[in-house]
Amino acid sequence: MAQTALKPNAPLPALDWKKWLGVLPFFLFALLFLVLPSLRLVIGSFTNNDGQFTLANIIQLFEEKSILDAYWLSIRVSAVTALGGGIFGFLLAYSVTVGGLPRPLRSALITFSGVASNFAGVPLAFAFIATLGRTGFVTALIENLFGVNLYKQTNFDLYSFAGLSLTYMYFQFPLMVLIMAPALDGLKREWREAAENLGASATQYWLRVAFPVLLPSILGSMILLFGNAFGAYATAYALTGGRLGIITIQIGAQIRGDVLHNPGLGYAMAMGMVVIMAVSLVGYSWLQRKTERWLK
Amino acid sequence: MSYLSISNVTKQFGDTVVVDNFNLDVEKGEFVSFLGPSGCGKTTTLRMVAGFEIPTSGKILLDGADITDKAPNQRNVGMIFQSYALFPNMTVAQNIGFGLRVRKEPEDTIKQRVDEMVGLINLEKHADKYPYQLSGGQQQRVSLARALANRPQVLLLDEPLSALDAKIRVSLRAEIRAIQRSLGITAIFVTHDQEEALSISDRIVVMNTGEMEQVGTPFEIYNFPKTRFVANFVGSLNTSDAEVIDPAKGLVSMDGVQFEAAEGTNGRTKGDKVKIAIRPERLSFASEQKKANVVDCTIENITFLGSVVRIQVKIGNSKFNMDTFNNPFLELPKIGAKEQVTCSKEAVLVLDE
Amino acid sequence: MASTQDGKVAEMNMLARIRRIPFWSWFWFILGALYFILPLYATLKFSLGMERDVIGFKAYGRAFEDPEFLSTFLYSNVLALMTIIASIVLIVPTAYWIRLRLPEARRIVEFITLLPFVVPAIILVFGLIRIYSSPINVPFTEMTLLQPLTTFEVGTDILIVAGYVVLGLPYMYRSVDTGMRTVDVRTLTEAAQSLGASWFTIIVRVILPNIRAALLSGALLTFAIVVGEVTLASFLGVPTFGPYLFLLGQHRAYEPAALSFASFLLTWAAMGLIQLFTGGQGQVSGAH
Repeated sequence: MAQTALKPNAPLPALDWKKWLGVLPFFLFALLFLVLPSLRLVIGSFTNNDGQFTLANIIQLFEEKSILDAYWLSIRVSAVTALGGGIFGFLLAYSVTVGGLPRPLRSALITFSGVASNFAGVPLAFAFIATLGRTGFVTALIENLFGVNLYKQTNFDLYSFAGLSLTYMYFQFPLMVLIMAPALDGLKREWREAAENLGASATQYWLRVAFPVLLPSILGSMILLFGNAFGAYATAYALTGGRLGIITIQIGAQIRGDVLHNPGLGYAMAMGMVVIMAVSLVGYSWLQRKTERWLK
Repeated sequence: MSYLSISNVTKQFGDTVVVDNFNLDVEKGEFVSFLGPSGCGKTTTLRMVAGFEIPTSGKILLDGADITDKAPNQRNVGMIFQSYALFPNMTVAQNIGFGLRVRKEPEDTIKQRVDEMVGLINLEKHADKYPYQLSGGQQQRVSLARALANRPQVLLLDEPLSALDAKIRVSLRAEIRAIQRSLGITAIFVTHDQEEALSISDRIVVMNTGEMEQVGTPFEIYNFPKTRFVANFVGSLNTSDAEVIDPAKGLVSMDGVQFEAAEGTNGRTKGDKVKIAIRPERLSFASEQKKANVVDCTIENITFLGSVVRIQVKIGNSKFNMDTFNNPFLELPKIGAKEQVTCSKEAVLVLDE
Repeated sequence: MASTQDGKVAEMNMLARIRRIPFWSWFWFILGALYFILPLYATLKFSLGMERDVIGFKAYGRAFEDPEFLSTFLYSNVLALMTIIASIVLIVPTAYWIRLRLPEARRIVEFITLLPFVVPAIILVFGLIRIYSSPINVPFTEMTLLQPLTTFEVGTDILIVAGYVVLGLPYMYRSVDTGMRTVDVRTLTEAAQSLGASWFTIIVRVILPNIRAALLSGALLTFAIVVGEVTLASFLGVPTFGPYLFLLGQHRAYEPAALSFASFLLTWAAMGLIQLFTGGQGQVSGAH
């Protein structure tokens, strides 16, 4: 095709490798600022203080209780907010797409989701302190309405697992809305009609057709949400000031000063994160391919 | 009493009348097409039979039972969609078995019926494939089998062939017709393609802007169109302004050129403005034997259309197309040549202006 | 008799109408709206209450007057601009070249643009610091070409802009690539060439104007990521708005709330503009 096209100004067919010069700057940039830094961490994970190859760091990773706890806390926060944000976001996306709400509400929700999924870090943390902190607006509201002080009469603490999860939800479920709204649009009206025509009730249509069709997309999005929360640092740091030991905060501490007294262990900790993120990305793209096949 | 009876059905969306006073009786085992341009109300009528739309007024009876307000999943009609509407998460076999499964039929009944249906559409080898692995024609056959698996009382086909390639369209339409005949099932087929409607139907309902223009067999519709719309929409047609000269003899004049129409001029009086219409294939070069309707013309253009050669001639001030079967020994006139063309009295249709 | 029947019909119609109101849809929507709005309302309300018993914008005045706010915010904006320029210069020719001549590079380049999803900001900055805190030597010698980038201002600026380009890479690349696909740059280029246009003319007068919307939406998203970014900035010690806001929060109450609300409005503006340019397709980012 390319050969038959008219190209009066084009240079004579160049040697194959010359074509790659066009993308060289991009590869060079990626090498310098993405690949090398990542590689440095990988190499560091397998190197001891004397610069020799070792597996000790990786082994220690699984033996150090504080590190395992940090991973576990991160995984829990990410899983809870991925699941909660995923379900809530799906229901919201459902309500504005096929749920029968007026059309303008849909664009309002999509715009708001675009903003909220990008609204994170320090401002988000401060917003939640003003909302659910000790003197926060909602804290006061609940005390006035129900006479319950969240901090004195319940175990609630914004600077804990529950508080961090609630804060993360602010960018998690909008992300779900943004991904699921187009997927729900992909449900063809004819599928519903065909199901009805064949005698299925609305419930049977949802259980046997719509939900199974959406499932890969729902699961894939939840994995994306998981990774989204797992890599988050700034929000947690601004909210808890580093007191809640999720893995990104532990890594942050290791960067500031070698708190583990073993640089190799710090690298291994970072690499562990990359591995978990990579696994979720692979899972996501696998499910994504399945979705595209069904909803094209 | 007829098997499916649609009587006085009108459908309005807001203030727009989409279907206006539709009346049709369909016999058991009959194949009826709704033919018309998009927006003529043919699909809406079909969807009212399926239950996806409820008529604003009127009644629909199926085998004596009033189904006008029944929910779609409470009536036993099978529907086939233009976009196939196969469930992407299910295999061919699961798609076909869906209707039986939601009706909680026993598994072995389902399996038996699915096998039977897969055999009917010759897709035995593909029973465990997913829709995205099949071609469009195969998918539409699966959708046919899925609709038939429930043993519906009526089969509704909503432009089922429009999304397919020309060749597949022709072969699948023959297949649909053969299956329909062998099962003796009543079918309603919606299409905007006149050739499709003519080739497949027992009867055709031609519709325009929500109204029924004409109901008849393909033969009647093509040869004796009752309205100008039907004449124009079904087959190709040369039309021109004319004036009635002698109502008794059926004589009309077009720019001074006289034509004689066999069916007369239908109670029109001398001086009435009308349209005359002649199908291209009814015109031919004049040979000596013919006497009626021999007129002078000039050859304007010649176009090859494969099996047919279309010759454009100028009669008076109007341009007419004349279709002749192609053959290697055909002697074609030169462009600009003066010739004489003719057509039988029966071929001249006189329509309202 | 007839009237009671009519009454019954009317009653059934009522019931049908009530059933048609999507109760659960409204329920979830209102819940979602509350989740969105409450924190913003709380922040706004708090920020307006700086003076006892008075609702006023004093906190905003104080926050905006702080010279340090001005300098850090300006710094963030300059960095955002640099990042956008660098991204465009890096990504547009690459994406264009791949569409035009090098489709075989598509998979590998797409893979690289996805890597930032696997390498979160905290890991990226970890690696960047470890690599660039040692001097850059002439290969295989002890001759120093450049002092460690982390030790001088221009060096950290380069590092942070490069880091931001990496963070924005998935969004910018996808945006540009989609833009090029929808206008079919290949055919456009061939058409321009057959009309005798030079390469410069093709790129400046044909390609860039046609992917303008994609560039703008990519740029605005990059802007939204960079302006409030904390992780890279604080670890590289660059005095931008994010770390400033964080530090302000350590010893002040009202001003940080005011700035948080203001930065929400800023995000809103950026996203609103993207919606405007892309015709309602939501954009997704993730520098949390």
